[in-house]
Amino acid sequence: MAGSGTRMARWRRPGLARGILGGLVGLVIGALPLIVVAQLGTEITPGGFLALGYVGFLLGWLAGLGAFGAWAGWALGRPSNPADQAAAHGRGGDWTRYFRFTTDHKVIGIQYLLAFLALFLIAGLLAMVIRLELAQSGQIFGTDTYNTIMSTHGTLMIFVALNTIVGGLGNYFVPLMIGARDMAFPRLNALSFWLVPPALLLILLNPVFGGFDTGWTGYPPLSRQAELGEQAFLLTFITIGISSIVSAVNFLVTVARLRTTGMSMMRLPIFVWSLLVTTAIVLVATSVVASALTMSLFDRLLGTDFFRPASGGDPILYQHLFWFYSHPAVYVMAVPAFGAVLEVVPVFARKPLFAYRLAVLSFVAIGVLSFMVWAHHMFVSGMAEFFHIPIMISTELISVPTGIVFFSALGTIWLGRLRFATPMLWVFGFIWCFLIGGITGVYLADVPTDLVLTDTYFVVAHFHYTIVGGMIFGLFAGLTYWFPKFTGRLMSERLGKLHFWWFTLAFNASFLPMFWLGIQGMRRRVADYPAELGELNLLASVAAWMIGLSMLVFVYNFIRSWARGPLAGANPWRARTLEWQVSSPPPVDNFEHPPVVSSGPYEYGVSVGRAG
Amino acid sequence: MAFAIWAVLSVLGVAAVVGMQILPIVASREAVVIDRALVALTVVSVPVLMFVVVGMLYSAIRFRAGNDDTEGPPIHGHRRLEAGWVVGTFVMVIGVAAYGTIGLLEIRGDQHADLEVQVHAKQWAWEFDYVDLGLDSEELILPVGRRIHITLISSDAIHSLSVPAFGIKQDAVPGRVTQLYVTPTLTGTYGAQCAELCGLGHTRMLAQVTVMEPSEFDAWVAQKRLESGE
Repeated sequence: MAGSGTRMARWRRPGLARGILGGLVGLVIGALPLIVVAQLGTEITPGGFLALGYVGFLLGWLAGLGAFGAWAGWALGRPSNPADQAAAHGRGGDWTRYFRFTTDHKVIGIQYLLAFLALFLIAGLLAMVIRLELAQSGQIFGTDTYNTIMSTHGTLMIFVALNTIVGGLGNYFVPLMIGARDMAFPRLNALSFWLVPPALLLILLNPVFGGFDTGWTGYPPLSRQAELGEQAFLLTFITIGISSIVSAVNFLVTVARLRTTGMSMMRLPIFVWSLLVTTAIVLVATSVVASALTMSLFDRLLGTDFFRPASGGDPILYQHLFWFYSHPAVYVMAVPAFGAVLEVVPVFARKPLFAYRLAVLSFVAIGVLSFMVWAHHMFVSGMAEFFHIPIMISTELISVPTGIVFFSALGTIWLGRLRFATPMLWVFGFIWCFLIGGITGVYLADVPTDLVLTDTYFVVAHFHYTIVGGMIFGLFAGLTYWFPKFTGRLMSERLGKLHFWWFTLAFNASFLPMFWLGIQGMRRRVADYPAELGELNLLASVAAWMIGLSMLVFVYNFIRSWARGPLAGANPWRARTLEWQVSSPPPVDNFEHPPVVSSGPYEYGVSVGRAG
Repeated sequence: MAFAIWAVLSVLGVAAVVGMQILPIVASREAVVIDRALVALTVVSVPVLMFVVVGMLYSAIRFRAGNDDTEGPPIHGHRRLEAGWVVGTFVMVIGVAAYGTIGLLEIRGDQHADLEVQVHAKQWAWEFDYVDLGLDSEELILPVGRRIHITLISSDAIHSLSVPAFGIKQDAVPGRVTQLYVTPTLTGTYGAQCAELCGLGHTRMLAQVTVMEPSEFDAWVAQKRLESGE
């Protein structure tokens, strides 16, 4: 009797179980209006069920988790219960707080980090399936299966690249680095995370709905012809977009308002600056893509004609709206990685960050310029002819601020006292890979060369060198650097270095040949290719599987070190930024007393610092 | 020392690239411009690549810390070096952009054409209409040395006509007419392919392009007319 009582209580208490229950109830409620409409004799589509059911599920899920509890209580004038608040802040202490709607930025950071690392592994497995198909000419899978796998891989990886550093490391470390106790809006922060799981579940289920074959760009009119899986893609993308906007507001207000005494803007750690610029981009750009995707959704669902040429719509308009967000979005992926890399460099070079102010200015310049370059994705799309030249110039101009990132990193390394711990290896890997990505980007920004290279494997190689070589290498630099802080334990250096070399060599062996394949005319997004390109494709495939295998080393090291690694102490790397001045992991409220900052974040090589 | 290594590697690299042909086949006047641009960009890239790589590797060896606990000098920046870097990269970028603009005008600027071809793309096949000649064909047959004006239309999804040997590519968009110019310079048979994901048959959306002497082309036109019973 008592047992069944506790079992019942679980469904009543805010939490994962009630969230799922709430979601299912929401699903039914969402679909109800359509059932009523069907009774009246109107024809209804599966797409309508999916859309309304999904929105119902999302709201029911959030309500079940307890996302709206505090706001509802406030609206109804109920006095707030301190015990509830403490529980909501994750003060319960045990591991179950990672599965609850909690407001501690450190819990949310870990939630983001683990969710998107898991997604990274899933999307990586899909990449290995893609390379299986492309290992030899001829086809193993049907083209529809291949297109769905390719599209899902791309879409998931986009989410990984957008969220892992910002949501994971950003949430965890920005408040610590500026001396704050939490984010400005802790409940919004939790909301932005808990919007994510249903969205990811939906996109992972897209094969159930027939898959989708448009790639992550979802260009109409193809997107309108595609199966119901396309709608899963649209709904997921829109939800992730809403989550990003909510989170961006939070970061901006946090950095603007919650800096501790003495933490002037010019004393902000460079990682915080990178997130400031990134979230400003997110805030401005994301609603544009959300509108494009919503119009695309309405075209499918309600028969509107935003992008249907037969009724006066325009497919090119979609591309403009899509890239107006999606090019800035690559800086949402890259700039936090720049921040992480430049954060790590001074610590392991034992020397102040070189040209800090210029690096800050370069981030801001990237943020501004990123809005003026979108149409370089459309040089062969048929957009207005005159538009090629200004877009070519602005795109190439962005290499000036990006070049400053290299300048700052190299300037810091020069005359330093370099220590090659794992994070520093990832920095060097980043410099090499992002350099290749950056240089090949100029070939794609230049219109004459883009005419031959665009839509070929040259592009595939280029963006993997920028996104993996930039964002993922930056992520690993940051992850291995901050791991002792958020776990309290050291990672195995031996396994960390093994993973670095294995991953980096395999990555280059896989993607360097693709530049050549692209120059030979091998198109992207194809399931098959001429037999004479077989050898290099096989090399790319074998190396790609090696990248996958190298991740096993990382996963093993990550889990084992977290469970049983040697204790790290507060500041194993002897860094000077604030997050290292508290225990590892930090206490729930971060700082007992708000810290007072009296110097910049990278005061290495001065006698005052040496004593500490 | 590092500077000398950089200079030597850059000179060697540039010497290796100059005069190279990067595209596997250069069969049109446009492809000549594009291949030249590929070489030019590579010439500019080599010193940049070498600068960062040499700087990085040299530092990794030269500035590796010993077992002692020393820290580097407290250098926060260098105003003239910073200004020089920004101005230097800016000038480089403007140079590259100017060169690109010239190349683009060479490819798309000349608006005259000797022959009109309308390409009709559909899921998943190509049709080539010779509007002046009243012919259509599933294969793209072109006379060598003539400037061709190609207009593209699509009746369903977005497609993209790509002929790697010509170095050109242009999307065909439903509801629009897009265009490009090409001047074949080498007779032979090449491949055309769809370069924009267009659904199930995208991978197999291929066509053959044959460039022949003008006299042969005229003979082909005559024969084609005969077949269609004129």
